[in-house]
Formats: sequence, C-alpha cells, structure tokens
Amino acid sequence: MSSPGKVLRVTFGANPNSSSLGVDVTFLLFGTMAASAIAVLASALLRRARQPEPKADV
Amino acid sequence: MKFGLPQILAARHEQFGGIVATERPRALVHLDRALMRRLGYGPSALWDNPAPSPLSAPTEVHLVLSKRCAAGCKGCYVDATPKGEVMSLDDAKRSLDELARLKVFHIALGGGEAMDIEYLFEVADYARTVGIIPNLTTAGLTLTEAQAERCRVFGQINVSVDGVGAAYEKARGFDGYDRAERALRLLRAVTRHVGINFVVSRSSYDGIDEVARLAKKLKLSELELLRFKPAGRGGGAMFDAEDLTPEQARGIYPKALRLALRRRLRVKLDCSFAPMVFAHNPPPALASFFGVQGCVGGDVLAAVHPDGVVTGCSFGGPPEADGRQVGEFEAAWKTGFRAFRDYVATAPEPCASCRYLSLCRGGCRVVSAARGQWSDPDPGCPRVQDYRAKNPPVRHSMPIV
Repeated sequence: MSSPGKVLRVTFGANPNSSSLGVDVTFLLFGTMAASAIAVLASALLRRARQPEPKADV
Repeated sequence: MKFGLPQILAARHEQFGGIVATERPRALVHLDRALMRRLGYGPSALWDNPAPSPLSAPTEVHLVLSKRCAAGCKGCYVDATPKGEVMSLDDAKRSLDELARLKVFHIALGGGEAMDIEYLFEVADYARTVGIIPNLTTAGLTLTEAQAERCRVFGQINVSVDGVGAAYEKARGFDGYDRAERALRLLRAVTRHVGINFVVSRSSYDGIDEVARLAKKLKLSELELLRFKPAGRGGGAMFDAEDLTPEQARGIYPKALRLALRRRLRVKLDCSFAPMVFAHNPPPALASFFGVQGCVGGDVLAAVHPDGVVTGCSFGGPPEADGRQVGEFEAAWKTGFRAFRDYVATAPEPCASCRYLSLCRGGCRVVSAARGQWSDPDPGCPRVQDYRAKNPPVRHSMPIV
C-alpha cells in the first residue's frame, strides 16, 4: 500500500511585513502532540479540499 | 482564524514534495511527495534531485513600492522622505509578472507609506489577477473611509502602532496615535484581517502590554512584534540607543507567550527574534513544524526595492538581480544569495554547535553587520552573549603604550 503522505510544516496567516512571517507563539504554546494532531488533521482535510484548476504541471 | 474544509488557492513543487497555499485557514502547508501525489500534483523534475536544496522560489516577497513618506518616523528603516524614490506602476507590474512566474504565494507591500501611492490598489488588484496574495503595512495616518473599503483586496493589513497615546509619539517622533487608531477602526469595519505591527525597541518595550490590550479591544487578528533594526534612520547612534538590553532580549519570548495566553491574542515575533525564542529551548521539531525560523533572507523571503534591485532581505544584503527584467530574479535565486545561504555551513561558534543552527541561521544578519561582520553570530542572541562572556576575544596585537 502506498504511503498516505504527510504534512511537513504549516505556517498560518499572511505576512504584510518587511521581515518574515514570524514566530507564531500561539502555536508554540500547543506543544509537540498538538503539532502531530494538526499534521494529521491538515493532511486529512487537504485530501478533501477544493482544488484550483488545473492541477497538473504546478 | 476560520477552520473548515480548506480551499487550495495555489500549489508548487519543491524538492521535498511541494507547498500549497490554502484559505480557511489561511496557511502555507509543506507536503511530502506522497501527499502531493495524493492531491494530484506530480511528479516533478525537482523530485529527481535526492539532496535537499533551496526552495524553488521565495514563498513571499517584500515589494518596496517607495521610499516616500511624509511622516518622518525617527527610526524609519528605509529612510523615507517626502520626495523619496517611487517604483513606477509598470515596474511594479513587471516585478509581479516575474514573481507570479516563479509561483511566489504572497507579497508584502510597504516601504515608505504605500497608502500614499495613487496606484496602490491597481498593484494589489494586479497581484490578485496573477495569483499572488497582496498584503499591506501602513501607518494609516491619512487613511480615508473610501480607501479602507478598497483594502478588502489585501490578505492581511497591519497598521504600525509602537505605543498608545504619548508612547506612540515617543517611539515615532510625532503625535500620530489618534490617526493610527482611527485607521485600525476603519479597516476593522471592512475586514477581520487587520493587525498591529509593533517595533520593539529599548524605549518602546514597556508599552507592548498596552498595545496588546488595544489589539484585543479592537478585535484585531494579530499583534506582530518586530525587532528594531539598524537600517536607514535606525542605524548608528539610533541603534545604539534603541537596541534591546540583554534582559529585554531574554524576556521578549516569555512576554509574548504571556500576552497570547492572557489576552487570547495571536502574537507573532519576526524572524530577527528567533535567537531570543531558541534561547528558551522550544522542541526543535515543534519549531520546524510551525516554520519558526531565524534569518529567512534568500530562503523563503526576498525583497524588490523601488529601483528594481533584489536583495535577500528588506533591511540589507548585496544586490542580486534586477527584479523587473525577465529571468534575472529566477537566475539569481538558483545560485545566488550566498551571503544568506552560506551561513549555516560556515557558522562560527557558538552557532556551529547550537542545535538550532539550521532553524535560526545565526539570527539577524543585519544586526550582525551593524555590530561587526555580516557573517558573525547575532550579538543580540542570549547564547552568543553567554558564550562571549566566557570566551572573550583573544588580543592578537600588543597595546600601544
């Protein structure tokens, strides 16, 4: 059976600044277990997500 | 932040798999190759390369539309003036065409006061047309209701507020607080994606709590804390006076956590604060998952200045290309930006043995350059300060008596 694949990284929000998107301390509060849960949830949701057109050759 | 069934706005391949930009929640999500395949993307020629490589393009680019602003903030990092240089509309569109071709996801519009540029909304609309989300930073001093209404085009708008009331004047050098708060209210009335940018300096540090209270009161989406940087009018003696004290540097991350908890507010720290975060030993895997990184210049970020010059960071770095010329940005991205990218491989102690090196990347290069060499560790990092206290520099020459 092929691998279901996984989410490697998530950065929430959009950055209006001259420097980076930044450290979202809100998410660092949640801890490693929460990150794992978000990875699983995000992976599941993405598989059901509405897709842009066309998908090929991105 | 709204959660639900996400909508994928855009996607691109990377060596590790790919990145998708989603709405609800708004996020950039890095996926491995298997998940990219499952979503119908792939395979890609980038996947033939077994070794990790830089991203195929930045995920976000700061488009410095102008160095023109009448406010005269005393620490302005672009040294903006009322007659400063402005990027032409044609050049802005040419730059956006190039960034769209590279599949850049976001642009940040700023520099001087972008709201004063007559074609600002035309640039924002054009960015949407070519598939890039435009975001904006403004001081909001002259914002009108009509302009606020048009700001729906932006993904996120942050208003610069470095203090409440008199603290604003102390930080910026003029009394603009009432106008900034009015701008926040006007913008919040038309979109929930409004936040505050707060430049954290030695003198503004104690005002963070009050601005966090304001952000909560106005139901803003975020408070972003930005480290005061030695660029433009913020360099030289100004930086000497306003650089954070060691105690403030150690305290900024716990303070941000407390604010996030107490105010139930989304609090962010910019990339230059990464050493101050890693000094508190967050799990590296957790930091990596949520994209907590130090210097991201030439990695996920780049800047295009009003004259078209591309640099790895808005605050500094050597010129890499002319962003208005077809193919120049792309060519530079493939092999350039060495001043930023080579740090991890060549880092001196204490960075070389730091477990956060690959994430932190030595902290802020611009601060390092202002205090010594570009390639030095960030002198504001608590670990670097401890290391230097224990290992004072060796004198190689005899003092002149």
